[in-house]
Amino acid sequence: MPDNWAYVFAAYLIAGVAVVWYWRHLARRARELAELPRRKKRGTG
Amino acid sequence: MTRALGWATIVGLAIGLVMGFGYAPREVTQGNVQRIMYLHVPSVLTAYLAFGIVFVASLAYLFTQRRKWDDLAAASAESGVLFTGLTLASGSIWGKPTWGTWWTWDARLTTTAILFVIYLGYLLLRAMADDPERGAKYAAVVGIIGFLDIPIVHFSVVWWRTLHQPSTLLRPEPAPISAPILITLLANWAAFTLLYAYFVSKRVEIRRLEAEASA
Repeated sequence: MPDNWAYVFAAYLIAGVAVVWYWRHLARRARELAELPRRKKRGTG
Repeated sequence: MTRALGWATIVGLAIGLVMGFGYAPREVTQGNVQRIMYLHVPSVLTAYLAFGIVFVASLAYLFTQRRKWDDLAAASAESGVLFTGLTLASGSIWGKPTWGTWWTWDARLTTTAILFVIYLGYLLLRAMADDPERGAKYAAVVGIIGFLDIPIVHFSVVWWRTLHQPSTLLRPEPAPISAPILITLLANWAAFTLLYAYFVSKRVEIRRLEAEASA
């Protein structure tokens, strides 16, 4: 059977993009929420 | 703690990748396309774990009404949907060169797609609820009922005649694969479990911060 490397790389690429996107989404949201009390204290929130 | 888990996850995923492409041999029948299984099998096993945690946390929430169980269920469901999505995508990409089709209404594929839709509905239900407490209760009921699909997904290859092969890992007999392939599957499963644990701990932390911000 042919190796079909394109399918292998496509599967790993899609998984990588999804995982990195969710990871960064969580990190960004946590950062925003952690900064909220400081912004409120400064009166800019 | 979460940061250390994050680093352990990165190391685990890197080891899993190296093993999947460097240590595991080329499979004799399928060729290198079989390497997609180091992504596909750990994804579905992690999704089972995630929805199992949703089930337990939902029961605990309904009995105790403690917010920590609702946070855990919500966080776990979100990760479960991600891993089920990865299962469906990687399986479809593997299916094209192996079966000659991206999708077929085989019992395993169909029940997995239903699982995905159930928990997508679970997340929508939470997002659309006006009263968070009532939303949490309804979500807990869906989380418990939705879990009933897991044994149907898992045993679909036994109960019905399917194109999908029988389970490789979660079976009473020893796995019908060579040791390097089995070890690579287990290593990737461990790495995906770390990834799941990281996502859940981060998501629970975010839910707590959101609750504090809106209080």
